[in-house]
Amino acid sequence: MLARILAIALLLLVLVAVPPFIGIGWQNAMVNMLIASLFAVAFNLLIGQAGLLSFGHAAFFGVGAFATLHLMLAVEEGALPLPTPLLPLAGAAAGCLVGAVAGYFATIRSGVYFALVTLAIAELLHSLAPHWEGLFGGEAGLSSMRLPWAGLAFGTSLEVYYLALAWTSLSIGLLWAYTRTPFGRLTLALRDNEQRVRFMGYNTHATKVIIFAISAMFSGVAGALLALSNETANYSLFATHVSAQVVLHTFVGGATVFFGPIIGASIFTLFAFFVSDATRSWLLYQGLIFVLVMLYAPHGIGGLLALHLRHWSRLRLRELLPGYLLAAASGLGLAGAVIFLVEISAVLFSPGYQAQRRQLETGYPPIQLFGLEWVPLSPLTWVVPLVLAAVGALLLPPARRRLRLAWDRILERAEAERSSGSLEPAEEVGR
Amino acid sequence: MEFLVISTLNGVIYGLLLFMVSSGLTLIFGMMGVLNFAHASFYMLGAYIAYTITGLVDFWVGLLLAPILVGLLGVLVERYLLRRVHAFGHAHELLLTFGLAFIFEELVKLFYGDFPVNYAMPDYLRFPAFTIFGTDYPFYRLFIGLVAIAMFVALYLLLSRTRVGLVVRAAERRPVMAEALGHNVPLVFMGVFGTGAAFAGLGGAVAGAFFPTNPNMALELGVIVFVVVVVGGLGSLSGSLLASLLIGLFSSFAVGLDWSLAGAVAMVGLGDWARELGGLFTLTVSSISGTVPFLLMLIVLLVRPAGLMGERS
Amino acid sequence: MSESPVLELVELGKSFGSLPVIGGVNLAIAEGERHAVIGPNGAGKSTLFNLISGLFPASEGEIRLRGRRISGLAPHEINRRGLSRSFQITNIFHRLSVFENLRIGVMARHGLRFSLFRPVERLGAVNREAREILERIRLADEAERAAGDLTYSEQRALEIGMTLATGADVILLDEPTAGMSREESDRAVELIREVTEGKTLLVVEHDMSVVFSLCDRVSVLVYGNILACGTPDEIRRNREVQEAYLGEELA
Repeated sequence: MLARILAIALLLLVLVAVPPFIGIGWQNAMVNMLIASLFAVAFNLLIGQAGLLSFGHAAFFGVGAFATLHLMLAVEEGALPLPTPLLPLAGAAAGCLVGAVAGYFATIRSGVYFALVTLAIAELLHSLAPHWEGLFGGEAGLSSMRLPWAGLAFGTSLEVYYLALAWTSLSIGLLWAYTRTPFGRLTLALRDNEQRVRFMGYNTHATKVIIFAISAMFSGVAGALLALSNETANYSLFATHVSAQVVLHTFVGGATVFFGPIIGASIFTLFAFFVSDATRSWLLYQGLIFVLVMLYAPHGIGGLLALHLRHWSRLRLRELLPGYLLAAASGLGLAGAVIFLVEISAVLFSPGYQAQRRQLETGYPPIQLFGLEWVPLSPLTWVVPLVLAAVGALLLPPARRRLRLAWDRILERAEAERSSGSLEPAEEVGR
Repeated sequence: MEFLVISTLNGVIYGLLLFMVSSGLTLIFGMMGVLNFAHASFYMLGAYIAYTITGLVDFWVGLLLAPILVGLLGVLVERYLLRRVHAFGHAHELLLTFGLAFIFEELVKLFYGDFPVNYAMPDYLRFPAFTIFGTDYPFYRLFIGLVAIAMFVALYLLLSRTRVGLVVRAAERRPVMAEALGHNVPLVFMGVFGTGAAFAGLGGAVAGAFFPTNPNMALELGVIVFVVVVVGGLGSLSGSLLASLLIGLFSSFAVGLDWSLAGAVAMVGLGDWARELGGLFTLTVSSISGTVPFLLMLIVLLVRPAGLMGERS
Repeated sequence: MSESPVLELVELGKSFGSLPVIGGVNLAIAEGERHAVIGPNGAGKSTLFNLISGLFPASEGEIRLRGRRISGLAPHEINRRGLSRSFQITNIFHRLSVFENLRIGVMARHGLRFSLFRPVERLGAVNREAREILERIRLADEAERAAGDLTYSEQRALEIGMTLATGADVILLDEPTAGMSREESDRAVELIREVTEGKTLLVVEHDMSVVFSLCDRVSVLVYGNILACGTPDEIRRNREVQEAYLGEELA
């Protein structure tokens, strides 16, 4: 318990103290990271806690952004002297309202049908918005300005960052508190066994509508922060891509632990910032990581971390280290091979390279990659990914074997402790 | 009158194209309970593979090979990926196909660029089928429709007249029983998935030569195909055909209609007032032609999720 | 004893499409009575329970709880009126702790259905009550364990605990000793007797020794009709019942 509080305090300290010393590009990346994290945690309220998979959450994110922009325009025109830091309230209100209505209808259905309803709602908004000038600004969207308040100009990205940090911390804190309330516990029960909840005297439809509205509300706050940060919003906020990103972030980070989505969102947004200059194939890597996680680590990175934390006292470095080292080496080999092939393909198939080839008429000119020069027709070039892949593939079976052995022992120890009386807290979100 | 005839023709053909892609999706859902988000990707891959083969060999070879290759890909996806996550539940299967759609789109961008490619039919196919009201109606458009009809007939005969079809139908209704009777149900699943993918690939191969071939085609067609499958009834082939034609015709007609609520009330003299109000009143049917399918999908999902011809369950 | 029955089934019938499952069932259960429903497989016992607890609506007839009509109400409304059921296939919250499973029911009893503004740990009365039930079903040692990790008979005990947690006084138990050994059954019966003290009990059972040791009255359901209704002894001696059952379970 104490360790957890210290960890969070340390994280907050870093988030508050470090940004003034990093460049504007980094600060913007951090803002995006905060927004994506909040969006993902809000999204996970539905799937990780209530067991409802939504494929159209961009709807509430977008609604929050547009509502905030309308409020910003009203403030700009002097119609409403609302302090800038309070503007995200518009996103919250709009998200909550639209979420309640959408949720009322969506939660009539369950499973795939529920997911399709949410998809339909988002697509409805996406196709309607570009034609609706008044509400969504048509194709160009809406634009406004952040106005100063109480001596703060809100002109620099640093100030925007602190505003975003405040709202994100508050919102995520509230969402955490939610998991400790009776209604929050009921949400978990709903995921496990909706039928039983009904037979225990709860109106599950009403319950689901409220959960949906809360999830949409905080998604609206995330959208509001984006609107504040970019000072603009258009119909592309309702696109499938936005709904897809939050799904990817949540599941790579892990839907079954509270902080999972934060990890996924942070990793993906920060890495996108790092890596998007170096390669145009960042989205491909993102997709590959997602599919790999789905196949081999269904509880995501957060799930793996939670597993280690839960068995912390039973971990033995001597048992685990060889397995993890082998796994790391294997992973690096395989990843290296994939990255090499993708990057070299990106160059080979790029229009620029095709033009170069046409100029020379025959042959394949050398490629600059990773600071070295590669000759496409030379076997040496292709030996590199081959060797990397071979190393990776060869190390994989022994890595898996050792890890399985090590974890079998850890779980045995857990079982022994259990039968001798020292108990285990149940595995649940928020614990 | 011209508008009516042309729009009807275009609508029916677009509908048939939608059916080529949605038939596989609805079959797969009906049989395996998996809503394959990557299904439209098979359509896109069909177009791109056909484009590549056309460039290397010949248009007709491309048309023949592309569906086969896409079908094989489908088989691999089912066997090595989908089956793996089956144990984690339906949500995970959905998510996996979702991730695959993502990857396929990015792979296409990697190899072909984030812009349309010039996949076109050979010149000798570029003639008018007939001339109507002074405009030439392209033969290739009809060709797309013919391929779709041929596919539908083949599918119908396969399912109703052959032993394989019988086993497929049995496995769809009672997979456990079919397996108990000695049929290799996992093989059947693999085959259905692959065939569905192949049909989508055929659709892409044939249509991509006429309509734009770009990395976004999977997403664009994908959402409409979902609408079709829901409206027709998840799991129902005939429902899928009906809904495809309906949506095809609607899209075709709506694009040309400039009707709006303001126009309607103008008939009673309130036109200017309505136009002043703007917003919903000035939205024309043509501009919301993209929205109506989703509205329809929502209504079907909420009121009658079994769709037009699906089974109530 | 002219008290009106606490649970009444009047000409109750249910058909699925054109398939009739139950027809013309009449039953009156008095307050505090312990009543068993027995019958061969497929007789409609589970359907009866599902009708009473509101899982699906009846095709004909009425169900009355304390004189008020409950047929046609949603399951959660019926539960709030004081009727609670357990399930034949264990229907618990696998990923929550045993304690939490019970607390969900107790929260409902206290009307805390939309409680968003205080931490669940501070609900003194609720937590105390949940702990009480935990002790009564003898799972206090497993309080923090995930419900999905319990043994089968522990889960069945939890199932009963959850049915009680909502504070209902008409309890429906659907084959509570299903899948249990002789010893486990005996213990389960003892538990049931203790925890349903003072409540009205309706039990579906296959195990006749359970019926004899636990229940005051027995109804025999065959092909969707009540063939006979009386004390366990009367039923045992009933010729028709013996024939219908082919004597197997009346040993």
